[in-house]
Amino acid sequence: MSTFYNLKVIDVVQETSESVVIAFDVPYELYETFDYKPGQYVTLKFNINGEEVRRSYSLCSSPVLEEPLRIGVKRVKDGLVSNYINDNIRPGDFIEVMPADGRFYADVKKSNYKTYYLFAAGSGITPILSILRTVLVTEERSYVYMFYGNKSEETIMFKKELDTLLQDYGDRFILEHTLSRPKAKWSDLWNTKQEEYRKGRVDEKSITWFINEYPLYAQNAEYYICGPGAMIANTEKALQQIDVPSSRIYKESFGGKVVQQEVAAIANAALNARLNGKSITTTIPQGKTILRALIDQKYNPPYSCEGGVCSTCKCKLKEGKVHMHNNLSLDEEEVAAGYILSCQSVPMSDKVTIEYS
Amino acid sequence: MSTTKNTKMMHALPVAAYTSQEWFDKEMELIFSKTWQFAGFIEDVAEAGDYISVQAGLNNIFIIKGRDGRLRAFHNMCRHRGTQLLRAIGKGKKAITCPYHDWTYDLEGKLISIPKKEEEFPQLKGELHQCDLNLHEASVDIFKGMLFVHPDKDAPSIMEYFGEVEPYLGPHIVEELVEYSESETEPVYAKEINANWKIIVENYIDHYHLAHLHEGTLNMYDHAKAEFGWIGPHYWFYEPLVPEYAADVKNASPQPLIDSVPEDKIGAYVPWLFPNIGLSEGESTWSTFHVTPLAPDRTLVVIRSKVMNVSEWEFTKQYTKSSMHKVWKHYGNKGKYEGDPETDPMASGDFMAEDVYACEQQQKSLQSPLFSVGAQAQRGEYAIYKFQSVVKEWMEKHQDK
Repeated sequence: MSTFYNLKVIDVVQETSESVVIAFDVPYELYETFDYKPGQYVTLKFNINGEEVRRSYSLCSSPVLEEPLRIGVKRVKDGLVSNYINDNIRPGDFIEVMPADGRFYADVKKSNYKTYYLFAAGSGITPILSILRTVLVTEERSYVYMFYGNKSEETIMFKKELDTLLQDYGDRFILEHTLSRPKAKWSDLWNTKQEEYRKGRVDEKSITWFINEYPLYAQNAEYYICGPGAMIANTEKALQQIDVPSSRIYKESFGGKVVQQEVAAIANAALNARLNGKSITTTIPQGKTILRALIDQKYNPPYSCEGGVCSTCKCKLKEGKVHMHNNLSLDEEEVAAGYILSCQSVPMSDKVTIEYS
Repeated sequence: MSTTKNTKMMHALPVAAYTSQEWFDKEMELIFSKTWQFAGFIEDVAEAGDYISVQAGLNNIFIIKGRDGRLRAFHNMCRHRGTQLLRAIGKGKKAITCPYHDWTYDLEGKLISIPKKEEEFPQLKGELHQCDLNLHEASVDIFKGMLFVHPDKDAPSIMEYFGEVEPYLGPHIVEELVEYSESETEPVYAKEINANWKIIVENYIDHYHLAHLHEGTLNMYDHAKAEFGWIGPHYWFYEPLVPEYAADVKNASPQPLIDSVPEDKIGAYVPWLFPNIGLSEGESTWSTFHVTPLAPDRTLVVIRSKVMNVSEWEFTKQYTKSSMHKVWKHYGNKGKYEGDPETDPMASGDFMAEDVYACEQQQKSLQSPLFSVGAQAQRGEYAIYKFQSVVKEWMEKHQDK
């Protein structure tokens, strides 16, 4: 599962001044391995300054169109990998890529008749774009209502591509842009044409406006959210306040570090882990997560994003207590059933027993 | 109920299909409980918290709109003792309750409260919504501004059901029109007719009778130029206006023309959507013709009509222009025979009265020992044969499940 493949970069496009889109060539024999659902991500592995680092990036390409795998990467302030990619990756380079994974995806089917509400902010557009294109092409009758937030007009990723989709699918696709810091232009003085952009962030107020402005027609509705943590929380809250059931909401966080609560974890707690049919007994050093403790001991636990998003590292807590710094993927039922993300869990009892399935 | 075993045939169905309680019950189970059923117009459930309940075959279905704008449908049946009493309550209309014992559900149908739960229902442990007592879900969706429900929560989507026939229907943008009726609460037409529901459908889709039964009433349409056919279980039909009416329809039409219909597409679109909803999409009115079987020989017909959303004054102007127009000297409103329009449907000049009369008189003959279908018009009555085949096939298909 967590195997990396060396894929060749066949194209690098400067999407905005702060982002690039990278296309990979997938050799024929790996087509099936690299098949994916719209909304899923791939994990990239680099060796930067002598240290192995992994990052997950959502695919912005569509699996139903015959096109190479594409990811969009936006620079992040002090972002080691995103800046590395923006500065260094050129066509012809090879990158270690793990096949697609993730639970944030749309189950697109030709016979579906649905309304998709898509909420994206910043580079959160990448998985949303994949869902958008796949739905429009595959589900001939479904509607897509999209709300897309950016800082200013220049930072809008995939603007051209979205405009083309509006032209081709205008009868089923609605797009509203909102800009948090629009730049004033000289031309605004004499420009009387209708405002193309709303002002403000993707927040409770604007989402409530959007939903009321574009009521759903096809009644089977789904809501997809991707953006920084605060945007997800705001969007989810706005949706919950009008009784959108959580079973219809799908979300994916990315980038921007979520503030971690300081908790007093137990130092040197005993760890019993069952992994690949073997029992492991070790201790968890102060400040380390269960996953890191295992990796440091040269074990090979499943993991991918190490950010609490992908749930590859999911395991079951059989004994003891843990605290999860950040859980963006397990739902309430899974947590109630004892599942934890080992990459986010620190021990809160002297002894912790877990089991990977 | 027929007492003698009647093995005589109509076209593809036995006569008993039009007279026996046994057939009627089977149709309720296999057709009306297994199809998308008309439930009204979208404006019937306009605001968050609005709800209605409708009968769909053997099921009563409760539709409620949430504050997210999404419609939810449940079987109108409290999971306690099955009472058909559901209603929405509370300030935000965020809950569904049964007033009998106040069992309460959320908008997803999950049971959230039971009075005296601990004392009276110690067997219900843990979270209420995990006690397998949530409302039974149904499906609800919108097609051409109409609400439809399906008793099965996993029903094929409404566009799988109607999508293929949609291009053959009128180009009217129904959502822009407003309902017309003389009374605020009553539809424009509702009547119990003494005939089997299929007799009424067959009359609706019978092209052959238009030029005869309705020779003085529906003659503003050019029956000779009619086009019709079948897409899956659904029937579509179109005929243009007669040239004289078409030439000056703007002035001659009794109501303002529906402006979403391009000039070259004006005419009468009169499809029948299986099993029991007909549309009549004309130049100035758009109507639903909903048929509800009440008994083997009794059927409720409800017509709801929509017109352009323009002022009362526009209607008055149009009516004045139309009433003096020369077209109406030769077309429409004339009885087939001379006589008292009040007592003789054939003298009424009202096409609905003509149809009801013909349907009821046909139903009466079904019990005659000498009844038989003499011959079938190969083009004009093909639809009748086809409709009966669809009924038969639908029942056979769902019988096995």
